[in-house]
Amino acid sequence: MSVDTLPKARQRYRWREARIALLFVLPCLLLFIAFRFGPAVAGGVLSFTDYTIGADTNWIGLENLRRLNEDPLFWRALRTTLTIALLAVPLSILMSLGMALLVRRAFRGSKLFRSIFFLPVITSLVLAGIVFTWIFSEGGPWTSVMGWLGFADRAWLSDTTLVIPAIVIVAVWGRFGFGMLILLARLQDVPRELEEAALADGAGAWQRFRYIILPELKPALFFLAVIETTFSFQIFDTVYVMTGGGPANSSYVLVYQLYDQAFRYFDFGYASAIGLALFVMTFIVAMIQRLTLGRER
Amino acid sequence: MTSAALGAVMLASACGGDDGGGANTGSAEPGEVEGSVTMWTYPVIADETEHRNFWDDTIAAFGEEYPNVDVEVEIFPWADRDQALSTAIAGNSAPDVVYMIPDQLPGYARNIEPIDGYLDDDAKADYLPNAIEAVTIDGEMTAAPILASAVTLTCNKEVFDDVGQSEYPETWDDLREMAPEFKDAGYDMFAYSGDVSQTLNLTFYPLLWQAGGDVFNDDGSEVTFNSEAGVEALTFLQEMVDGGYVSEDMLTSNPPVEQTKLAQGEVACEWHSEGKNLVEFWGEENTVILPPLTNAEQIAYGTVGSLAMLSSADDKDAAGAWISFVTEAERAAEYDEASGFLPVKESTGSLYEGDPLLGEAEKYVDLTTVGPLTEEAREVMGVLAPEIQAVLIGEKEPQQALDDAAAAAEAVVR
Amino acid sequence: MILPDSLIPWNLSMEAYDRVIGARSLLRWTLNTVIYSVVSVVGVLFFSSLAGYAFAKKRFPGKEVMFWSFIAMLMVPYHITVVPVFILISNAGGVNSYWGLILPTLANAQAVFLMRQFIKSLPDELFEAATVDGCSEWRMYVSIVVPLIKPILATLGVFVFLWHWNDFLWPLIIGQSNDMRTLTTGLASMNAENVPLNVVLAGSVVAFVPIFMAYLIGQRYFKEGVTMSGIKG
Repeated sequence: MSVDTLPKARQRYRWREARIALLFVLPCLLLFIAFRFGPAVAGGVLSFTDYTIGADTNWIGLENLRRLNEDPLFWRALRTTLTIALLAVPLSILMSLGMALLVRRAFRGSKLFRSIFFLPVITSLVLAGIVFTWIFSEGGPWTSVMGWLGFADRAWLSDTTLVIPAIVIVAVWGRFGFGMLILLARLQDVPRELEEAALADGAGAWQRFRYIILPELKPALFFLAVIETTFSFQIFDTVYVMTGGGPANSSYVLVYQLYDQAFRYFDFGYASAIGLALFVMTFIVAMIQRLTLGRER
Repeated sequence: MTSAALGAVMLASACGGDDGGGANTGSAEPGEVEGSVTMWTYPVIADETEHRNFWDDTIAAFGEEYPNVDVEVEIFPWADRDQALSTAIAGNSAPDVVYMIPDQLPGYARNIEPIDGYLDDDAKADYLPNAIEAVTIDGEMTAAPILASAVTLTCNKEVFDDVGQSEYPETWDDLREMAPEFKDAGYDMFAYSGDVSQTLNLTFYPLLWQAGGDVFNDDGSEVTFNSEAGVEALTFLQEMVDGGYVSEDMLTSNPPVEQTKLAQGEVACEWHSEGKNLVEFWGEENTVILPPLTNAEQIAYGTVGSLAMLSSADDKDAAGAWISFVTEAERAAEYDEASGFLPVKESTGSLYEGDPLLGEAEKYVDLTTVGPLTEEAREVMGVLAPEIQAVLIGEKEPQQALDDAAAAAEAVVR
Repeated sequence: MILPDSLIPWNLSMEAYDRVIGARSLLRWTLNTVIYSVVSVVGVLFFSSLAGYAFAKKRFPGKEVMFWSFIAMLMVPYHITVVPVFILISNAGGVNSYWGLILPTLANAQAVFLMRQFIKSLPDELFEAATVDGCSEWRMYVSIVVPLIKPILATLGVFVFLWHWNDFLWPLIIGQSNDMRTLTTGLASMNAENVPLNVVLAGSVVAFVPIFMAYLIGQRYFKEGVTMSGIKG
């Protein structure tokens, strides 16, 4: 083997390796081009057209965005979506945190609790919606309990104000188990000696939480906040099943409007414009995450 | 790749347009017509077996006259039928012939082959004028009517007897006057189906029309439901709801019928469902079909069911021959009778003379309208219905709600 | 919710549902859900492990660009792509078909990412030894890579399965005929059509039990799968 043939051999070997690697990536690549990259761009392009089934498509420029801007229903749906996020995100994080602290130490049945708390996460939101519709119905358990507690025993799902908390409750119920697991993983990293030392120094529960546990959890809490916000922007299944956007549009969220426009009125152009709005919202949240995390580092 | 994909999408949609050529089967010899025809229909006859049998018989009879045409009839569920049809059109798997009601026609007009040229003149002349009107878009007959319905006022005789009221309401004022009496006796004056998924054609629009208003202006370029008449109609409804005269159970949601106060005989009247649907609960002797209510006008909703040919049909002559065969007066009458709907042909005359239910409904066909026929009609319902609901649950005042709906509709209509 | 048309028989009677929709439909929906979930799991695991392996251990032109554009797709919400994908599938005649339901969901960025991360963490020597042995690439994938990535296959498999089993929006728009519904969309349609609550709840139990049983057996994988991916189906 002479010295100058070696690089050439390696080159050939690499080419062979690359060919095989490309072959391995190819199926995924094709799938992504057809169902992710292409549609992501097409989604943007569509929002500047009046595309609908069976008609000629016209380029209408900013018309759809102008319509968004003037559509009271869109603004209302945006407001409702943000309200749900504003309520659901902190609640679900608090709940996750509370439950994580509750079951972090091994005690009789702590495993069982973890399993039970996680169960909602794997439950279909459609099923949850069906059961919760009954729970919130007139004469349902929730309504009765509210009655005993001295509140008006009205059905929450048919009340324009209370329907939002009802949706939020179901969202939190379905999500807190996930947050709990994330936080539990982080809690294991809290140095036990540190906590014990603090305890010996007479630090109260709150102080131990504030100065020892919380700093450790901060990144995880932040991660949760972002993921939960994105998630609540996309709420749809439960609203579809429980309220259909009502009563009187009071639970009409953005994804519901997108669904209505695309698959009920077949106005795909306008639906894509709503999708674009959702994208911008998600993007902003992700950017906030980026910037804040960057600063922390 | 992306633009190619999108291009393909657009190309596909650009096809399927009209390929012109108004063939006229009226003159072709049946033996010369050949091809295959697929028709989609829905459970117009509720009993599946009976419905199937009807079409099998019809296909057999058609086959004798047109030996070279194969016909297939598929019965789809009512639910989500527009979605199924639209996607079939997009996917080039659309049927040749579809059952449609007037408020669907405008949305599909660009995919529909006008039927004018396929029906012979006698058949066209035999149609009742309002049936023709219901399927005519831009001066062309888009579909061939086969049945009609009239959803007037239906009252429960048992309730009236119990209250001791021997007169039935004819006007809004009658309702206003009678309501307290019924309330005292523990009955609701009427049921209003206010769930937002309910079509307004059966609920609010009749009131709007009775008040002398309409949903759109004449050319469909703007909504007019927030006119004085609209406010009057909604105010009337609000007044009745606030007075406690309207069944609460159906006001905002859509409970199973058998669980409603209406079905349980605790409600005097309703206008959102044909009387024949209540017989099961009230008994035939208690189901009284009455003329449409009157305020400024006397009018109710009624629909026209029709068969439309899609322009993507391969064998248009065959499809035309099939539609013409099926909608022929006698055969259509058979279908109407089997499904409990009303005839659309002059020559059929009365199908249900003496029948206490359909015979009554039949009399009022002239007083019905099929509702707005613009492409945006359904989307406008989508924005208006929640606003009406807001009034019914005391969140908004009529004028405000209708103005808000009109503002939202403006974005839809233009 | 769709506007019921004026000609929809307004008094759909209960028996009709018990008889027609009841047993027969539930069975069919369960079958559809199983097909949708199982085929997708197999497809996603196969394609993503191939790609993940290549991204982790191979050198080839365009690798970084490709990988990061895959990952960028995680940022694009599902809802912006759902409309174009639907148009694409419906133009190709995929509405109410299994392939129309399954194919688009095989492009799973998360799976590729997790596969690549996992395989990257495995020592290179494991793979180099095989290369020296003159193993063909395909045989190497089957006999070396697959056994090594079993843990991630299980975890990811459970997650993908769960996601599909509970998926709603996509089956809702693609499986429109009664025969092509999945359990979630079928139950939602029953719920919307006023089928008596006990029937709907019975159906819900049917939909929930398999997942619950699987959860009891493989809890660890469920928890890992869901936490790792961060997103609930």
